[in-house]
Amino acid sequence: MRPLDLTEKDPSKRITIYFEGKPYEAYEGEKFPVAMLANGVYWLTMSTEGRKRGAFTFGPLPIKVNGVKNVNGRKLKLMDGMKIERQRYDEFQEQVKIDEGKPVLRYVVDVAVIGAGPAGLGVVEEIGGKLTVALIDERTWLGGDMWLKGVEQEGFGDPREVIEKLTDFPENVRVFLKTSALGVFDKGEYFLVPAVRNDQLIEFMAKRVVLATGAVDSIMLFENNDYPGVFRRSDALEVLNLWNVAPGRKVAVLGAFPDEITAELDRWGIDYVVVPNPKRVEGKERVERLIDENGNVYEVDAVIMADGRIPDINPVTQAGGKLRFKRGYYTPILDDEHRIRDGIYVAGSAAGIKPHYANYIEGKLVGAYILSEFGFEAEPCVYREKLGDYEPVARPRPRFQLDSFNAEDVHLCGCDVSLKKVDDVVKAGITDLQIIKRLTHLAMGFCQGRFCLFNGAQVVSQRSGLPMGRLDIPVARPPIKNVKMKVVAGRE
Amino acid sequence: MPTRSLPERSEITVIGGGIVGVTIAHELAKRGEEVTVIEKRFIGSGSTFRCGTGIRQQFNDEANVQTMKRSVELWKKYSEEYDFSFEQTGYLFLLYDDREVETFKRNIAIQNRFGVPTRLITPEEAKEIVPLLDISEVVAASWNPTDGKASPFQSTAKFAIKAEEFGAKLVEYTEVKDFIIENGEIKGLKTDRGTIKTGTVINATNAWAKLINAMAGIRTKIPIEPYKHQAVITQPIERGSIMPMVISFRYGHAYLTQTAHGGVIGGVGYELGPTYDLNPTYEFMREVSYYFTKIIPALRELLILRTWAGYYAKTPDSNPVIGKINELGDYYIAAGFSGHGFMMAPAVAEMVADLVTKGKTDLPAWWYDPYRFERGELRGQALQMG
Ligand SMILES: Cc1cc2nc3c(=O)[nH]c(=O)nc-3n(C[C@H](O)[C@H](O)[C@H](O)COP(=O)(O)OP(=O)(O)OC[C@H]3O[C@@H](n4cnc5c(N)ncnc54)[C@H](O)[C@@H]3O)c2cc1C
Repeated sequence: MRPLDLTEKDPSKRITIYFEGKPYEAYEGEKFPVAMLANGVYWLTMSTEGRKRGAFTFGPLPIKVNGVKNVNGRKLKLMDGMKIERQRYDEFQEQVKIDEGKPVLRYVVDVAVIGAGPAGLGVVEEIGGKLTVALIDERTWLGGDMWLKGVEQEGFGDPREVIEKLTDFPENVRVFLKTSALGVFDKGEYFLVPAVRNDQLIEFMAKRVVLATGAVDSIMLFENNDYPGVFRRSDALEVLNLWNVAPGRKVAVLGAFPDEITAELDRWGIDYVVVPNPKRVEGKERVERLIDENGNVYEVDAVIMADGRIPDINPVTQAGGKLRFKRGYYTPILDDEHRIRDGIYVAGSAAGIKPHYANYIEGKLVGAYILSEFGFEAEPCVYREKLGDYEPVARPRPRFQLDSFNAEDVHLCGCDVSLKKVDDVVKAGITDLQIIKRLTHLAMGFCQGRFCLFNGAQVVSQRSGLPMGRLDIPVARPPIKNVKMKVVAGRE
Repeated sequence: MPTRSLPERSEITVIGGGIVGVTIAHELAKRGEEVTVIEKRFIGSGSTFRCGTGIRQQFNDEANVQTMKRSVELWKKYSEEYDFSFEQTGYLFLLYDDREVETFKRNIAIQNRFGVPTRLITPEEAKEIVPLLDISEVVAASWNPTDGKASPFQSTAKFAIKAEEFGAKLVEYTEVKDFIIENGEIKGLKTDRGTIKTGTVINATNAWAKLINAMAGIRTKIPIEPYKHQAVITQPIERGSIMPMVISFRYGHAYLTQTAHGGVIGGVGYELGPTYDLNPTYEFMREVSYYFTKIIPALRELLILRTWAGYYAKTPDSNPVIGKINELGDYYIAAGFSGHGFMMAPAVAEMVADLVTKGKTDLPAWWYDPYRFERGELRGQALQMG
């Protein structure tokens, strides 16, 4: 087994790949960052300003594959003999292949459900037999975050069993995995949801849209928080439970919600320490130690941020939804039937952070509203009552010790936006988040703010004294997920 | 920088805090005038922060060439004094047939007459300037190395900070709702956050100019309509990959360049309206990608980070409206900039400040005469990008 493998892999799939000229053991079809992690290699790419980056914190993962630059390493499935090298974010391929591209696929459905976590699955279970549905998810699996859990979930029991049951779909439900929705556009009676799967454009025309697009893990601010070996909780879960590879031999769990990962680490017998107040990580090519605010030093080879999750507001604001600040994060303003506006519903943690089971019930509720809209019998009140038992989780307001940090080393986002850059603008007297965004490029890069906007708002609020709820929050623009120009460039 | 409370009075009030309103306030304050800018959202939030960053002198008539020549001088001066990004990396018009070449030869002659060093170059020379270009169909290019680009964010913010240092007041998140007029004279403005006493008002609201004119009760025909234009930006790539603004009328009236931050930015001639709707459209994303990848094939493999929409505030001849409206005492307008209001702003500010403080200007303000529509004296169509 490779250094960080937790289980034996299928020996018939064993291959050799080359990274930076050195051979490594990998398995056919394995994802590139997972294979490198299993081999104990965390540093895979470099930001434009030359900071070392891995795959599990934030920022894109461009790499050179067999001499071709700017390949998305996160999606790369390995094949025998592949030669892979690091690159900087801004390196690109000057000579490119020109072809006709793939034809556009088109589907017309009653309802497009974006996101196949418990909420999206709840919607589909409710409407499945009666309406035509396109269920869209960018991941390779159904069940969202819950599929990654190895421990029992409140209300549900064993997560995998439940999801297997929920995904036994009737015929009029079409599933599109590995498919990223680019946004929601109005087209008369319909909504157009363009999406990309494997460089092919798919256009969904739907009468109703459900944004079951979930939440993102909060990024914590500490020095070198962008360093290889720093994990978002969800990425740590994925390597553990989907790929059976350990994030490290000895890890530190950070943040206000350590329980969200420690049970999983226990299950695999991984040695961990909980550190609530990180100040800095250090190491040569990856995390080697963590130092907390009290000066304690922990020798660890990975850190996992478990500081709670916040709704991904980008799909909501792109589709025309408005936000409010409640329970410590921004959530969409919904009408009585969970809509941001006519025809567009929100369900699950995109609407507020709660347990998987509550998200599922919320999905059922939205499904019931949609059924009534289409003239079917439905009983939303039953689900509404059940959902009433679950008050969304409040997230304690992070109070960053801004002045105790070396601000140059603290990164708000993967695009080289350091705390210092933001602070310098604020200190020059500019306290409007909209202007700060444009002067620092905060929320203007690859994630369009999915991971960084909240912390940017937090810093501005903390520095300016303006409450979070009064900040002018930038809205997301299409495409809400990055898409290669050639994919949308085709012309019929 | 910008103060948030509305002053009780101000000698001069500029409505609109885009690049035009902010540079006007900067110029007036620098000359010692008491001036306040009222902006309904944040500075730049109208079209300015949504623009394509381009600054060119390659126009097709004498007045716009002169105005832009002065503007470029000012861009250079202020970017050095105030330390914001303005790069003279040129404008490169790709030409694909004899007819286009003839038109551009005429334009070049006008430009050269005013000392703008534009020249016709070969496709190979164009490729030396931008190695990523596909020149297989290009027959020549019109090239002026002194054109350029600037960061709308940095420049507008810097002009705003400096305007305040000179004593101007910038009031954001405040919307002008009505005029207070007595005996044909302006006495003040009503906003959603109180009233301000003022005698001189400058309408710098561009896409919204007709609404402000209506509030002021102006009857003179000043046709300015808002059209939706969109732009795209890609992932940042190595700086210096695409230095000039590259234009191709053949391919969708496309214009594209690289920002100082590294992203490839630009748009096409895809226009919707008149409308105040600013939702980016899927059709634009497809059009712009189709045309851009024809001009620079390497863009095929780049990620689109976002698209967005802004306004071209258009007049029938694509020239702005700048000057005093005589119906109402001390009411001025500088609006209707189509696709070239960002680049013109520093010269326009000088022009308007001249008119307000001296009643005349050496710059060719006559070309932008607000009464030309009423008189049926439309100008030649100004060369418009996108
Ligand atoms: C996609 C695109 C690309 C472009 N590319 C270029 C380019 O490359 N080069 C170039 O020179 N130009 C370009 N332009 C045009 C340029 O953006 C505009 O001409 C320029 O920004 C106009 O500046 P402005 O200050 O007149 O208007 P704006 O920036 O729109 O400012 C007007 C302000 O008035 C405010 N306002 C309106 N009503 C009220 C009220 N009642 N009370 C208070 N405030 C009010 C608005 O909020 C707004 O901020 C482009 C435009 C678009 C849309």
